[in-house]
Amino acid sequence: MPIRLVLAALALWLLGACAAPQTARLLESNASALPRFAQVGGVPFYAQTDNYCGPAALAMAATWAGVPLTQERAGEMVFTPGKEGTLRNDVVAAARRLGLMAVELDDVSSLLAEVAAGHPVIVFQNLGLSWVPRWHYSVVLAYDLDHQTIVQHSGITPDRATDLNAFERTWARGDYWAVVLVPAGELPAAGRETALLEAALGLDRLHNYNASTKGYKSILKKFPSNTPAWMGLGNSEYARADFVAAAEAFERAATVAPGDPAAWNNLAYAYAAAGRNRDARRAAERAVAAATPATVGAYQDTLREMAALPID
Amino acid sequence: MNQNFLKAVCAPVAATMFLISGPLQANAAMVPTEQVVTAASQASVAADRARVNAFLDREDVRGEMQRMGVSPAEAKARIAALSDAEVARLSGRMDDAIAGGSFLGAVVGIVVVVAVVLLITDLLGITDVYPIGPVR
Repeated sequence: MPIRLVLAALALWLLGACAAPQTARLLESNASALPRFAQVGGVPFYAQTDNYCGPAALAMAATWAGVPLTQERAGEMVFTPGKEGTLRNDVVAAARRLGLMAVELDDVSSLLAEVAAGHPVIVFQNLGLSWVPRWHYSVVLAYDLDHQTIVQHSGITPDRATDLNAFERTWARGDYWAVVLVPAGELPAAGRETALLEAALGLDRLHNYNASTKGYKSILKKFPSNTPAWMGLGNSEYARADFVAAAEAFERAATVAPGDPAAWNNLAYAYAAAGRNRDARRAAERAVAAATPATVGAYQDTLREMAALPID
Repeated sequence: MNQNFLKAVCAPVAATMFLISGPLQANAAMVPTEQVVTAASQASVAADRARVNAFLDREDVRGEMQRMGVSPAEAKARIAALSDAEVARLSGRMDDAIAGGSFLGAVVGIVVVVAVVLLITDLLGITDVYPIGPVR
């Protein structure tokens, strides 16, 4: 074997040896709240066709989450022919188009926590090297800390077990990108507050207000003082023409953040739509009072509109 | 007409039209959730600018997708599901975000040396190209 190749391999090994820090930390700390072993049952397996690892992974995760999807249909939603591959954003967008909460994750303990909570996770890896990339999507569905393995539905192999350290190295080269899909109304175990909010907002953007309402409600169960989520819930209820529920949500937003003119402004509209004109006017006055000089104009317009409503 | 000139003229006009017609508060209206979420993480003026940029990014990203063989309607549907912040992150780095080449027959066509390197790195647990990973 040429000596240069041996040296190259040695250098790579040295680089690689210190490239699975999260796994090492996880295995060292016995204090970790994670169970030693976890497995998600009932994740269907679709063997990918050529270049279709992205669509196959999406189809498996979406079907598990209650939206049956074929690999071919998934391909129409995420595959980019000119690149013979799948954009990560398209996976997220497709999940939202299917009415699912798509929440991105980016570290090993969050990934394993999702599996422990019973949710399969789509992961994005570079199975090759940075200069010979071999991009790949698959679905993580089990792990075993005692044996240091992680199990994936990957490519044409169901339940493929991989060494956890090796997995982290290839996942790190995929920027630690992962996304968990759950039905609207359920919440991933991990996932930052902002990531959860973006998931619900994504459904909102697509005017799927039934789903976004469920999404915001589930976020608020866990984070009851999240003002944007109360605003999102209010706006979604308003869009569904449930003005009483909208007013309740905006009231909560205004209670959590009394200095936020947007909450009072939207509350005014919800009251007006619910026929509570006197309350609408009062809320609009609060919006004007809370506004800054830069934003007060719009809220004064609201107040004029509310003041013109008839009061018996 | 010069392409750059067109872009220079059209971009501000499009941005202005967006500002006038879009969900930014110019008149009395409900404050949309996206604005609340964006404002929660950025100062108001910066947030407004970010929204204008995101609007322009949406067109850019859509055009890029179409060039890569995604139908216009499908490209529009994909972009519509993303928040402004997500589009901004995507804009200009489509190549980084693309993924998922063929899995089987991965190494066919690559020089033999590379195949050998990958075999060694596979055995060392650094890569995972061949089905014979260091599975325990």
